[in-house]
Amino acid sequence: MKKLLIIGILFAGNIHAQEVMETFSGTRILNGHSTETLQKRVMQFRIEHRFGDVAGDNGGVQQWFGFDQAADIRFAFEYGITDDLMVGIGRSKGTGAPYRSLLDGFAKYRILKQNASGMPLSLTFVGSSTFTYMTKSEDLTQIQSFPKVSHRFAYSTQLIAARKFGERLSIAVMPSYVHRNLVETDDVNGLFALGGAANFKIAKEFGLIAEYYHTFHSEDVRTTNYNSLSFGFEWITNGHNFKIVCTNARGFNETQFIPYTYSNWADGEFRLGFSITRNFKL
Amino acid sequence: MYKLLFGCLIIFPLLLSNMTSVKVEQFDKSEIDHFPIAWILKELGNPVPSHYMDKYDEDKALIGESLICSGYAMRDGKKSKRISPYFVCTDCHNLVPEFDKLNGQDPEDRLDNSIDKGIPFMPGSTFYGIYNRMTFYNGDYVRKYGDAVINARDTLNNAVQVCAKFCSAGRYLEDWELEAIMHWFKKNELHMSDLELTPNQKKNLLKYQQLDANEKQELSTVINDQLVGGYDATFLPAMPREERKYGEGGDAKRGEVIYEKSCLHCHLNKRVTYMHLDHDKLSARMFWRNRKNYSDKSLYQIIRYGTYSKKGRQQYMPLYTKEKMSDKQLNDLFAYIKELAGK
Repeated sequence: MKKLLIIGILFAGNIHAQEVMETFSGTRILNGHSTETLQKRVMQFRIEHRFGDVAGDNGGVQQWFGFDQAADIRFAFEYGITDDLMVGIGRSKGTGAPYRSLLDGFAKYRILKQNASGMPLSLTFVGSSTFTYMTKSEDLTQIQSFPKVSHRFAYSTQLIAARKFGERLSIAVMPSYVHRNLVETDDVNGLFALGGAANFKIAKEFGLIAEYYHTFHSEDVRTTNYNSLSFGFEWITNGHNFKIVCTNARGFNETQFIPYTYSNWADGEFRLGFSITRNFKL
Repeated sequence: MYKLLFGCLIIFPLLLSNMTSVKVEQFDKSEIDHFPIAWILKELGNPVPSHYMDKYDEDKALIGESLICSGYAMRDGKKSKRISPYFVCTDCHNLVPEFDKLNGQDPEDRLDNSIDKGIPFMPGSTFYGIYNRMTFYNGDYVRKYGDAVINARDTLNNAVQVCAKFCSAGRYLEDWELEAIMHWFKKNELHMSDLELTPNQKKNLLKYQQLDANEKQELSTVINDQLVGGYDATFLPAMPREERKYGEGGDAKRGEVIYEKSCLHCHLNKRVTYMHLDHDKLSARMFWRNRKNYSDKSLYQIIRYGTYSKKGRQQYMPLYTKEKMSDKQLNDLFAYIKELAGK
């Protein structure tokens, strides 16, 4: 009987009661990754969409505030290998500035997890890469000419640190490095950025989110680029996570929205978007 | 001659392997407490259930234990395919007694036992003594699982298959898996030490072979009265709004225990489900906000109906019958939710 009791209690649940859960409610904050990873044996299907500009020259009522256009669309399958290690592959339309037809893949590992008994924050590493298979341009002055296959690749690495303060507020900082093998003459191959994000839970199922990535480079280069700034609203159900996003970034993946944001909030060049996820346990 | 030698070479190792792995029932027939209840009932002339077996195999019982607790087992050095991606048996069933008395069914006693033993307070019946039960999926379970339970009601093997395929949203067990689980059940069957008998009754049982039919019948009744042949299962509707007390007059301390041992058993850290719950105000306020609703977020509904497995969302929540959680306990739970929500 004692043995049965011990077996019963041991298998009753592998409970880590002190872990701080749901620092962010999904594996993404808005455009970028959060510290969260998928649980072991969970496969997630993601659909992400960014519409056209709400206002500005390309928005307004003629474009029905951006809903007539699709800046970018991404479909992805992501999978939790362990509770702390996940991988994912995806395909996105691409914004055309400069790439279209992108394949991406990433691996993400949670190094530390905030808990009530001493660990003050969660820390996650993300390594990702994108490959564009768009038809190459004959114009050798364009980076879409892709002289070598390697020029189609771009990479990013991030170390994401986050802390949940109480039940409602979570803050994250995301030091990031993006490397592109081929860039325009006024750009840099290696680009450092620092992201910052906050999530405020209005209720168990609803949250408000803000996310910003600041790039660091010489003032002489990247003169037409802007930093990605996004706001969002999330709605969580059992197995689903819906996010409505308002952002000046057009593309998905860190190799796109960090270096290639050309839209300016002040000019009305921001857009609505959404992401929907569905989890399947395998 | 060669054939005989060849035959011996084949048969001898098989016999040897059987001899080494099968544990013959070796109870001391002079010590009444060691008598398996199913065996003595058979000896007293009672009908035996279809799952009755004389002995169990220790190795098979160990495989059964792994299947019950982990959902898979190591076989021939390989990990077997999971029975279900979503659940293991111990997500819904305890393995130890849930009542002081074997035939107990009172949810309040069950909760007290859960507190005393430090075990979860779950929607399924305990596996303790399941070998000695005669009926399964009783009462209203046909409403949840339909015709699947009809052949499972009087046959433990079929009941296990229904649980594997439908209740755990998994697959039917292979023969070796079902056999291993049945051997684990047999290994953990009830013995006379689990019963309360007078010295005279014990004395009579020791000489069971010399008893006449009436005496055997009398002893059988004494034993059967202390057993539960099958647990009742009464499905209740979501409580009508006008009857809900929202925790008024409820025992918040007992409610906290129910929250911890029932809700958090699966929901804490998303252990079994995608929804994380904790002793936090946001979780409590979600339930408080939905208290008047007839939806999945209303405790009055989700506890009584659970959710249903369907294509694309096979993971579901089982329901609590009246016997597994009373309306009083539901009100106690709400008293705690109200307190936690700060209302």
